[in-house]
Amino acid sequence: MESKPRMLTILDGITILLFLTAVGMVFFYAPLEAVMGQVQRVFYFHVANAWVGMLGFMVAAIAGIAYLRKGDRKWDIVGLSAIEISFVFFFTAIVSGSIWARGSWGTWWTWDPRLTTAAICELVYAAYFLLRQGIDDPDRRARFGAVYALLSFISVPLTFISIRIFRTIHPVIIGSGGSGAEGSFDMSPRMLQTFIFSLITFSIIFADLLWHRIRLGKLAEEAENLRLKTLQ
Amino acid sequence: MINTLLLQAPAETTRYLVAGYTVIFGIMSLYIISLVVRTRNLKRQLVMLRELDQERK
Amino acid sequence: MEPISQAEKQLTRKSSAPGLGQFIRAVSAVIWKDLAAELRSRELLSAMLVFALLVILVFNFALELDAGTRAAVTAGVLWVTFAFAGTLGLNRSMAMEKDRGCLDGLLLAPVDRSAIYFGKAIGNLIFMLIVEAIVLPVYSVLYTVNLFNPGLLLIILLGSIGYVAVGTLLSSMAVQTRTRDVLLPVLLFPLVIPILIAAVKGSTGFLQGVDIADIRPWINLLLVYDVIFIAVAFMVFDYIVEE
Repeated sequence: MESKPRMLTILDGITILLFLTAVGMVFFYAPLEAVMGQVQRVFYFHVANAWVGMLGFMVAAIAGIAYLRKGDRKWDIVGLSAIEISFVFFFTAIVSGSIWARGSWGTWWTWDPRLTTAAICELVYAAYFLLRQGIDDPDRRARFGAVYALLSFISVPLTFISIRIFRTIHPVIIGSGGSGAEGSFDMSPRMLQTFIFSLITFSIIFADLLWHRIRLGKLAEEAENLRLKTLQ
Repeated sequence: MINTLLLQAPAETTRYLVAGYTVIFGIMSLYIISLVVRTRNLKRQLVMLRELDQERK
Repeated sequence: MEPISQAEKQLTRKSSAPGLGQFIRAVSAVIWKDLAAELRSRELLSAMLVFALLVILVFNFALELDAGTRAAVTAGVLWVTFAFAGTLGLNRSMAMEKDRGCLDGLLLAPVDRSAIYFGKAIGNLIFMLIVEAIVLPVYSVLYTVNLFNPGLLLIILLGSIGYVAVGTLLSSMAVQTRTRDVLLPVLLFPLVIPILIAAVKGSTGFLQGVDIADIRPWINLLLVYDVIFIAVAFMVFDYIVEE
């Protein structure tokens, strides 16, 4: 476990390359938006971050089910890693979204479904960490973590739907421009390309970070086992 | 192109762009740094713990 | 401990009976145990009730409510009250289980674990409905609002079912942690937001005589939520109480 697998080093390289390309596309390739101006460029990475957040949540829920069925602790590490990464990326998405909102239509916060649901996800994650913190037995901690990850993964889409029925001012991003929702904008082909490239890049970033975080998790588990053994 | 000239020029929002990307790059960097630091600490701890374990045997 | 040993006797006596009958008997045994214990001590209901009434009182001062605003926020005030009082009930119900060692006794019985879940959930639901049944008339009188609206009662029922379904599951986890009582609201509230939104909008709809077609989405949401989470609870409860 000590030495870093070659695949990971290669993935690191690919990730960095993709990331730099994406940044280049955002700042130089994508055109300037006609109404919002420069701040619209934030949108590409803002959505990519939210996308990673959702990915992480999904991975955690699946890892949770896997742990409950197999009992192999490595699934618990996968779940915890996915949620930690998702937490960081959702946070970035929320703050960048807030800055974009401020720059585009003047308010720091919009109670629209996507932003609100992301904020609720953060609270769910906080609850997840608090739950784990309150349990000493590693097996129970993994089990309860898995259950909670699963329950919340089911509840969050329902939350999103209910808020959406409740209200919406988040922009409609793809296709029809001027479709009633405040702040919507048309995406030209170059914008679309940059957008999709950002999503792909961030998905790879997620995979790369997940791998690293899982390795960290395995180290932590080994350390905890040794600690329990030697400090009896 | 001509349309943009006829209508208003886009809003001057560069500072929000800067703020937004500072946040994005900043948080990502901080997280990666935290991963590096935690890994290093754990490796150090493991070395110590393994020594302790050997001594006990 | 009397009601508990009676319940255990009931369970073991009928262990040769076919599945469903045994299941229903187990569920009833659990419900009856809780009701009987509560009838004697009344500690759960009194705590929930006093708390609920206090919350309503606090709202009276916290929100300066004139007659117009009141109509708009009644549903919200009621549901916040129910949510908080409900947490109290869920906590105490599970804590009593753990403290008296009844949970272990129940787990030893040769019956499907989910019977315990159902028994506890229905017991919690009954307590919550009793509290709601008292709070509604009190609120009606204090604020001269007519709350005896069948639509409203339906929403309250559906919302309470969903709340208790998830709450019972989470409280059985929370009670096994170090942080216990404090943890339940933290775990529960993010997950029951769909219920709160749908229940408040649905309640407001019925109270303000909105067209039923507009309220239907909220009722559907509550139904979907209830069905999904009761099904999930069935599948997941075993993992929460395994040793």
